[in-house]
Amino acid sequence: MGSEFVLFVSAAIFSIGALGFVIRKNPLVMFMSVELMLNAVNFLLIGYSSFLNSLDGQIFALIIMTVAAAEVVVGLAIILTIFRTRHELDVDRINTLKG
Amino acid sequence: MFLPLAGFLGLSWFGKRFPKLLGGWFACAMVGGAFLVTLLMLAQLYSESPADRLNHVQTLYPWIVSEGFSLNLSILIDPLSVFMLLIVTGVGALIHVYSIGYMHHDKEFTRFFAYLNLFIFAMSVLVLAADFFFLIVGWALVGLASYLLIGFWTEKKSAVLAARKAFVMNVIGDVGMVIAAFMIFEHFGSLNYVDVFKAAPTAFFPNDDSILLITFLLLVGAFAKSAQIPLHTWLPDAMEGPTPVSALIHAATMVTAGVYLVARCNALFTMAPFTMYLIASVGVITALFAGSVGMVQYDIKRVIAYSTMSQIGFMFLAVGVGVFSVGMFHLMTHAFFKALLFLGAGSVIHSMADEQDIRKMGGLRYAMPVTFITFFIGSLALAGFPLTAGFFSKEEIVMNAYYGEYGNIVFWGLAIIAVAMTGFYTFRLFFYTFMGKSRTPEAKPHESPIVMTAPLMVLAGLSLVGGFLGPWVHEFLSPVFSGTVPLHHDDVMLEIIAVSAALGGILAAVAIYMTGKDQLAFAKQMLAPIYEALFNKYYIDEIYDFLIVKPVKGIGKFMEERAEKLGIDFSVDELGRQVRELSRGISIWQSGKVRIYALNMVAGMVTILLFVIFM
Repeated sequence: MGSEFVLFVSAAIFSIGALGFVIRKNPLVMFMSVELMLNAVNFLLIGYSSFLNSLDGQIFALIIMTVAAAEVVVGLAIILTIFRTRHELDVDRINTLKG
Repeated sequence: MFLPLAGFLGLSWFGKRFPKLLGGWFACAMVGGAFLVTLLMLAQLYSESPADRLNHVQTLYPWIVSEGFSLNLSILIDPLSVFMLLIVTGVGALIHVYSIGYMHHDKEFTRFFAYLNLFIFAMSVLVLAADFFFLIVGWALVGLASYLLIGFWTEKKSAVLAARKAFVMNVIGDVGMVIAAFMIFEHFGSLNYVDVFKAAPTAFFPNDDSILLITFLLLVGAFAKSAQIPLHTWLPDAMEGPTPVSALIHAATMVTAGVYLVARCNALFTMAPFTMYLIASVGVITALFAGSVGMVQYDIKRVIAYSTMSQIGFMFLAVGVGVFSVGMFHLMTHAFFKALLFLGAGSVIHSMADEQDIRKMGGLRYAMPVTFITFFIGSLALAGFPLTAGFFSKEEIVMNAYYGEYGNIVFWGLAIIAVAMTGFYTFRLFFYTFMGKSRTPEAKPHESPIVMTAPLMVLAGLSLVGGFLGPWVHEFLSPVFSGTVPLHHDDVMLEIIAVSAALGGILAAVAIYMTGKDQLAFAKQMLAPIYEALFNKYYIDEIYDFLIVKPVKGIGKFMEERAEKLGIDFSVDELGRQVRELSRGISIWQSGKVRIYALNMVAGMVTILLFVIFM
């Protein structure tokens, strides 16, 4: 059990999240990937705060969690609205931002 | 002192919109005014002693003034230029008057006179120029004016082609002149006539390479403009233009510019005897060539055109053997009777409703008496019948072909043959057109209006008495030619031979054309192959076409296909296409697709990571 372990696990989960975000078409699943990435970062922070005997990491993690929650609210609201108007669950087809 | 610019003002005519007849008379007034001014210049010159007359250089406008080189717009007023100018403006004025009648029906009346005036202006520049630079300016302007005038009837395709041909050949001459000018500048440090001619005798050894080259290049220009072999093919085709144009340009003025050039630069030419031989040879060969072709043509104007070529050959022969003022004298008399003949031909054409084929004419003697008489006089003068103007000038040329400084018996012999030919073709033309019965009685020919016949009569008078001006001409021009007056050789024997040659030609024409037609058919049969060659102008046009025109066109086409299409078009198009591809690639980033944006973000992240790790 060393600091490297935290690093590797965190990196692995983060990349899985990132990859998922890029690859998947369903907005809900993309959101889940974002949560994954956030969680990976939290894990890293907390792990290292333990190894470095400092409280900064934990405090930062708490803040991140708060922000994540707020973001989830907003994000889900957007997705719901889009779904209601367009009945579309394919992110590629929501391209009114084009140009 | 005085302003020859009165004539130049004719240029301001250009593009004015006047009611028809007024415009015509205005143009005539301009040229007439120029003529009067020229007379004034003549008087002025006379008031000075002969030695003084040479160097009147009047600077009109200083143009380029720089270190070591200055160029002024200046004109030289000396016997030679005044002489030429008298001919140009005098005969030119007559032709202007004539044109009022001839071009009466033409709807482009005013444009014609504008061009005519432009031409007189250009010719004046050429003749009055005081240095080689303005000579070339005038030279080129004259070429331009002749292009405009030959191709005047723009709807007529053959006319436009002829104009183009004339211009192209002229330009060849221009090139020669310009190069010669460069060389002159290099040798003498100046382009000024006065400077150059003064320095000429001491600057070169005779037959030095450089002077030979200079004179040869000048000759190229002279031959191109004066339609000598081998740059002559444009002249017969130039008959596509209106007849007054032919009279002005091809009888009296433009074609004589070449002779003027040689006379003007006589200081240079006398330093290059080899070139002189060349001039005389080309002159006499052209005279023969043109005379022979002229014997079998059946378009009135073409016969006269070949006659012009032939007569100018005579003039070149004269200056080539060293008797410059004799050449100029013939220039003057030729201007008279050739313009007369052209205008007379125009009168005939006009009344025959634009018919030019003499085989369709005949018996005009009764229908057009004035034209008949004047044409007769002109023909006599051209053939060199005793006591006409042409007689005197031609006699002198022939005489000097033998006795002149560079003359020899070969020149003389060939000249005699040419004289005989002249008599023949002239009267052949005359008989065909005027005598006998009309071959197309339905054409109803009529005499021309007085506007046209008056100039004819004036010119006829001049053709008769002009010969007696001979001695005056020689004396007047002698200072220009380093004070030499051609000796009058009283070799009775030669004179008799010359006269009989001329008369012989005339009689031959009488024999063949006045008596039955059978002789003609018989002669034609006998000489059939020769006839073919003559008729087709020795196929020179065809030779040129093959040797020069086709290759040039071929090169043009080749460049078009390969260089243009593959090379230039290709690269430019490619460039355009690449840019379009690029922009299309870039526009993907603006697609509005969320996932693309996500991808961008991830890519950015990875890049930074790599950066951090490896730095």
